[in-house]
This record gives sequence, structure tokens and C-alpha cells, in this order.
Amino acid sequence: MPLDQRATTPTKIKKVSPSELMIIWADGHESHLPSPVLRRECPCASCRDEMTGARILLPMHVPDDLEIRKVQLVGQYALQFEWADGHHTGIFAFEYLRELCPCDECRKKAK
Amino acid sequence: MAFWNKDSAPNEEQVLGVLKKVLDPDLHKDIVSLGFIRNLKIDGSTVYFDLNLTTPACPVRDQMRDQAIALVKSLPGVENVEVKMTSEVRQAPQMDRTALKGVRNLIAVGSGKGGVGKSTIAVNIAASLGAAGARVGLLDADIYGPTTPIMLGIETAPKSIGNRIVPQQASGLKFMSMGLLVKTDQPLIWRGPMATKALQQCLFDVDWGELDYLVIDLPPGTGDVHLTLAQSIPLTGAVIVSTPQDVGLRISMKTLRMFQQTRVPILGIVENMSYYICPHCDSKDHIFGHGGGARAATELGIPFLGEVPLDLAIRTQSDIGSPIVIAQPEAASSRMLREIAEKVAAQVSIRAFEAPVLEVE
Repeated sequence: MPLDQRATTPTKIKKVSPSELMIIWADGHESHLPSPVLRRECPCASCRDEMTGARILLPMHVPDDLEIRKVQLVGQYALQFEWADGHHTGIFAFEYLRELCPCDECRKKAK
Repeated sequence: MAFWNKDSAPNEEQVLGVLKKVLDPDLHKDIVSLGFIRNLKIDGSTVYFDLNLTTPACPVRDQMRDQAIALVKSLPGVENVEVKMTSEVRQAPQMDRTALKGVRNLIAVGSGKGGVGKSTIAVNIAASLGAAGARVGLLDADIYGPTTPIMLGIETAPKSIGNRIVPQQASGLKFMSMGLLVKTDQPLIWRGPMATKALQQCLFDVDWGELDYLVIDLPPGTGDVHLTLAQSIPLTGAVIVSTPQDVGLRISMKTLRMFQQTRVPILGIVENMSYYICPHCDSKDHIFGHGGGARAATELGIPFLGEVPLDLAIRTQSDIGSPIVIAQPEAASSRMLREIAEKVAAQVSIRAFEAPVLEVE
């Protein structure tokens, strides 16, 4: 595997609880993604404008205790979630999930 | 057993010790560590073992066997070496094994544009793997222009048992095509969702049974069918078919990028219609340019699987429903196609060993 792909290739995906998803990446990094954070960043066309990328779904509309009902693989490049609010159309590519990692180290890099 | 034999015959450890010198050139490991040696038995001066490869279509199978025999024979006390060649196609380490669970490897064959001979290559790769002894299925997913029923000589609708479709069989393959479900002269005028549904039926409602390889002949380009495929099944890898001209025009690049974006490993490029051999004077003509496929493969760091000439025999065999690799196995073009199939099988084995395993809980 090319080195640059290790950071965006998951080796383990686990729904730790209805409110948290854990991903271990091929580079050894461990991401803990809270359910409401994922829901707020849903990239689907009904949550984000397809052309401009502007938010249609506002973060304040997602309750902090929103739970993930189901996690499903999409082929071998993405994940799809179903949340307790019934939303399920977002396809989260592995690259995007790594970008969403909320840990300090990844946040610093993002800046 | 004679006393002196017992004394001088090597033990298992010594045999395995020399066999460790045989490397699989694709997997870059020795055949002992890879677990290829099975049923090792030493009986006096005769050593027996099975060499269990990752595919019956292994391109270096004879080379590895000869090397193993020579090394074991070089041990003192060994007079005969009996090797049985066996194979067991490894299951691609896959994420989602719920769908198509009897299928060990899914190989997509795609192209940037139509008319490059993608179906011909797909049919002959599948038939070669089948002829080598693998259990192979062929799914013609080119819903808009299905041609495999013609190439395999079966154009009748498959039977179904309950709500499962029984795939047709021809040239040693199980096969299914949208062309079998509609009348030959009827066009399919479908919007995306219909195409998606039809493809999913061909994948999941067909009784494929146990297969080592399922080869999927894609429609040309990048569209609904491709996306559905990349999203609904874990493809082991994709083979890109192009003509030298198409490579020059960078059309096949789009297909390549699509597979990269959806993380489908690229098994390699096949250059079809590489040259034309004049049936009158045997001279080679590179009508569409030369060497483009190999150059593109080097640039992109993906394997070049081989070139196939524009050969009248490939076309006529396809038209009468009997693939050239089966009908004329000794023809030059058949040899090239078989080599391509072997390289594909080798690439699939490499993926099965190298790909990281993903656990989902």
C-alpha cells in the first residue's frame, strides 16, 4: 500500500456505543468520532448544497444525544450511517472520515 | 526399509530448509513460509509433497516446481522427488462478505470507451482461468450492449428455481448476461435506477455457487453501473482494457481514476488491438500506434498485463460462440490471452496476501 494511503485506510471500524464510532487506521492512528459530529458533517445533498458546499443542515439542529443506529460499508471506500433521526443518505469516504477526526493532533494539522 | 536408507535419508526439517530457497516471485516470500508445501512425506530415498499454489493459472508454476524438485534432489540420500501440483484460490480479504459469499474473488473488466474489445478480453480471461482448473463465473454487466451470449454461443434465457436464477453454462463457465433476459433485437431503454436494479439482480439473485473468480464485464466508461458495483460489492480488483489509441487519448485514464476513487485495486492494463498481422504476408502493422499501454502502465505504476493483436481468428471464434482460448488453445493469440489471464490471477493472489484486513464490529 502506498504510504500516503495508510492514513486513510481503516483496519478496524467499531461502533463502540450508539454515540461513538471508533476507527483504527493503517498508520496506527485511532479516531473516536461522536455520533452528532458525524451527523452535523453529513456530506449528502440534502445536508450540504451540492454546488456551493454551503450547509443546509445547521449544527444546532442536531441534538447532542443523537444516536447511530447502523453502520454500513459502501464497497471498500466509504461508510454509510443510519441515525436515530432516520437520516441515512450520507456516504462518508474514508478520506473524509479521517479529516473529521476530532483529536488535538488532527485538529492542529487541519489548521 | 533398508537400514542404510534410514540413515542417509534427510528429515523433514532439512527438506523444508532447502525448499525455503524457492521464492514466489509475485508474493516475494518463500514457498514454505507461504504455506504452499503440504503433505510432506519422506519414504526412504523418495520425497513426496504437494505444492499448493494460490491459483491454478499461476504463471510461474512450472518454474517453482522445477526449482523445488532440483533443490530437494540435491540433498544427500534423495533419489526421487514426487510433487503433486495443487491449488487453492485464496479468499480476497474482504470487508463485506455477506453478499456473494461463495465467491472468492471479484474481478471487474472495464474500459474508457466502447469498442476496445473489452468483452472479448473478459470472456477469454474467464475461459482461460476456467481451462486452468479454476471455478469461474462471468457476469456480463454491459446492460446496454451485452455481447457475451453471442461469444459463448448461448442466447436462451436462464431457468430459475424459486426466486433464484440458475446461471447458464458454456466453455467451462457459469455465466449470466442481461442479454439473456431480453430479446436479441430489443434495446434496453433504461434510466439509471433500472440499470442499478438489473445489475443487483444479476449479482445477488443468481445462484453463482462456489466460485474462485467471478469476472464482471462492465459497460464502457464510467456510469451508474460502475458506481453501483463499486458501492455494493467488494471488488478484488479491476482490469482496464484499452487500445493504443485510447491510451494516447487518455480516455482509459478516466476509468482508472474512477476505480482509484472508489478504492478498487487496479490489477493492470491490457492493450488490445495492439497490432495487425497481415494474413497474406504475416507482417505486423501497428495501426493504432505502439507501446502506449506499457508506457501508461509504467507511468501510473500499475502492472502491464500484455498486448493482444487484431487477429481474425479471435473475431471469428467470438462470433461462432466459442472463445479462441478454448477452441484453438495453441494459437499465438490464445497464448497471449492465457498469459494475460495468468497475470491477472497472479495479481489477485498478491492482493489476497497484501491487502489489510478490515474488521467491522
